[in-house]
Amino acid sequence: MAYRGGGGRRHGPSAAFHPVSPGRLFTCRTPTHNICMVSDFFYPNMGGVESHIYQLSQCLIERGHKVIIVTHAYGNRKGIRYLTKGLKVYYLPLKVMYNQSTATTLFHSLPLLRYIFVRERVTIIHSHSSFSAMAHDALFHAKTMGLRTVFTDHSLFGFADVSSVLTNKLLTVSLCDTNHIICVSYTSKENTVLRAALNPEIVSVIPNAVDPTDFTPDPFRRHDSITIVIVSRLVYRKGTDLLSGIIPELCQKYQDLNFIIGGEGPKRIILEEVRERYQLHDSSKIRVRLLGALEHKDVRNVLVQGHIFLNTSLTEAFCMAIVEAASCGLQVVSTRVGGIPEVLPENLIILCEPSVKSLCEGLEKAISQLKSGVLPAPEKIHNIVKTFYTWRNVAERTEKVYNRVAGETVLPMDKRLERLMSHCGPVTGCIFALLAVFNFLFLTFLRWMTPDSLIDVAIDATGPKGAWINQYPYSRKRGRNKTR
Amino acid sequence: MCAQPVPNTTEIRWQKVLYERQPFPDNYVDQRFLEELRKNIHARKYQYWAVVFESSVVIQQLCSVCVFGVIWWYMDEGLLAPHWLLGTGLALSLTGYVLFDLLDGGEGRRKSGRTRWADLKSALVFITFTYGFSPVLKTLTESVSTDTIYAMSVFMLLGHLIFFDYGANAAIVSSTLSLNMAIFASVCLASRLPRTLHAFIMVTFAIQIFALWPMLQKKLKACTPRCYVGVTLLFAFSALGGLLSISAVGATLFALLLVSISCLCPFYLIRLQLFKENIHGPWDEAEIKEDLSRFLS
Repeated sequence: MAYRGGGGRRHGPSAAFHPVSPGRLFTCRTPTHNICMVSDFFYPNMGGVESHIYQLSQCLIERGHKVIIVTHAYGNRKGIRYLTKGLKVYYLPLKVMYNQSTATTLFHSLPLLRYIFVRERVTIIHSHSSFSAMAHDALFHAKTMGLRTVFTDHSLFGFADVSSVLTNKLLTVSLCDTNHIICVSYTSKENTVLRAALNPEIVSVIPNAVDPTDFTPDPFRRHDSITIVIVSRLVYRKGTDLLSGIIPELCQKYQDLNFIIGGEGPKRIILEEVRERYQLHDSSKIRVRLLGALEHKDVRNVLVQGHIFLNTSLTEAFCMAIVEAASCGLQVVSTRVGGIPEVLPENLIILCEPSVKSLCEGLEKAISQLKSGVLPAPEKIHNIVKTFYTWRNVAERTEKVYNRVAGETVLPMDKRLERLMSHCGPVTGCIFALLAVFNFLFLTFLRWMTPDSLIDVAIDATGPKGAWINQYPYSRKRGRNKTR
Repeated sequence: MCAQPVPNTTEIRWQKVLYERQPFPDNYVDQRFLEELRKNIHARKYQYWAVVFESSVVIQQLCSVCVFGVIWWYMDEGLLAPHWLLGTGLALSLTGYVLFDLLDGGEGRRKSGRTRWADLKSALVFITFTYGFSPVLKTLTESVSTDTIYAMSVFMLLGHLIFFDYGANAAIVSSTLSLNMAIFASVCLASRLPRTLHAFIMVTFAIQIFALWPMLQKKLKACTPRCYVGVTLLFAFSALGGLLSISAVGATLFALLLVSISCLCPFYLIRLQLFKENIHGPWDEAEIKEDLSRFLS
């Protein structure tokens, strides 16, 4: 552990940052913040939200901010852990209810979260994902404690059924007094503004990013026959049913076409049935390969084996998979849903309607282009795509949001109650206003029990007075997911 | 719509893309914000009289339950001779049977491929069995208190009305359950009648009014809508008349119920349509419209 305690051997304020390693570009012009990221979803769980939080935190640390992450305990992983560059993660002992999301009572997490917020002298709470109960709890408590709040929404949601009506109401309550909201695409912004009845001016669009050095093309590893790669969870929302129609259709038409499918899920069985029925996995020639669950680091090795990447999602706020595939130099064929049309320029993606017929036409177009050799070389595609989305850019834009939020005032209790009652409807508004009052009383009680002044202040691992020494400045880039 | 300072060059237009760095702040709101929002694209426009016409299915079913209740009351009081009910029931059933084939010129029969001999057989089997078991029916519920029987019958008939197939495509609809509940109610009530013959005739009548009559109604509605309206009115008035002979208050309440269902409810349905606000846009989850099972069959 490269950790050094406080005492007098701290860096002085003028030498506020880590020893500058090559390629690091930051200046002292912006104020630094103490940021606390809160979400139910974090490593060891894998997914878009998890890597977003991790990468964004790393880049914010690089820019000189203090960042801590709060999530719930994952099995044996509980307590405090330090990740790369001294990123401190609190795994809190909260009960998981459903789909890795904790239960919410709006109260039980206050003592713990308050302790952390005070201990770490947090100034900005940044919650992630509308599916995470912990994120909403943290927003609620932070507002009671008078801290500034930012929320990032990673997903799209409909308006049609009862469950979405209820969740949208809760989102309205949760976001009506949040300082700023970040969405990952313009479609997602429209969706969130409508769902939570927000002023669009307090919603920023900051896309996700992909580390282009992790996704480089390798033309020598490509198969000889044309190969279509699919990497996604095999669930209904990712359009696996469509895939079960596309595979037989195209395999019958093109004898030299292969499929590689990475990912696991309840719909895997229908792909296995299709493979069985159309005899696409003879021992001499396997035409449809099902790889099962992939680790994030293996995704690139699968992607580079193919020529065309197929995405059949039925809904998607920002599709990271297609950016990763394009970064590996593949031609992308995708459904035109959600924010996908905003992600890649027209010459790098073939957009189709979510139907077997349209997707087959799109794939055939890509195959004919590939055969006639009009597609650009993988290296060329990579060089275009790598400029689009970088985590440094995301961090820079998020920092602007933090700066803006830091200049805003947090609504005092009376204004907050007024906002809740005027903004969330007469019934819901009054109920949550009452809960906010209870929350405030509970906080007052906790402050009386253990005054803020009695809570130990934690030693900063990151930030201007960060005590973390980076022993391996850039050599451990590959092992960034490793935790101790 | 937006108060953001737009950069001085007017040529630079905001694009809804993420891959380009645009000279706008991240929270910029363009004129085109929410331009793909669509409202009520699947909403249906209703005509008042069409809705009133459709509500007649509910009216018919309410009246069926009412008529059944009235007949049972008359039998229980001994004011209605069972032979008379049997005769009328048989005559009406035969008329209905003939009408059933006449209405569509035997089209439905040819499609289903069911012969008259088969119809006769099932009718005979049913009548024989009900007749044979009617002594059992009579004594079936002797150990149960009469109040329990009444309460159970009321709940069963309510259930019959709730689960009946009025033509709506909903999960709650189950015509089998609905019919079973009605027959159960009729068996319960029949067991409280004075004699075995009464019980037999009551159950037969229940089959006629709850199983056969809705089938004929459906055909009437499809083939001769005008005739159907006439029949519904006639049926409703006879049910009201029957109820009036028992209780004036009950008849008034029932009349109010019928009027509110056939006139007031359609009016409110159309009025409330104005408040409908269904939002659609590019964020909606796409639907797979094709039949994908063909690839696996």
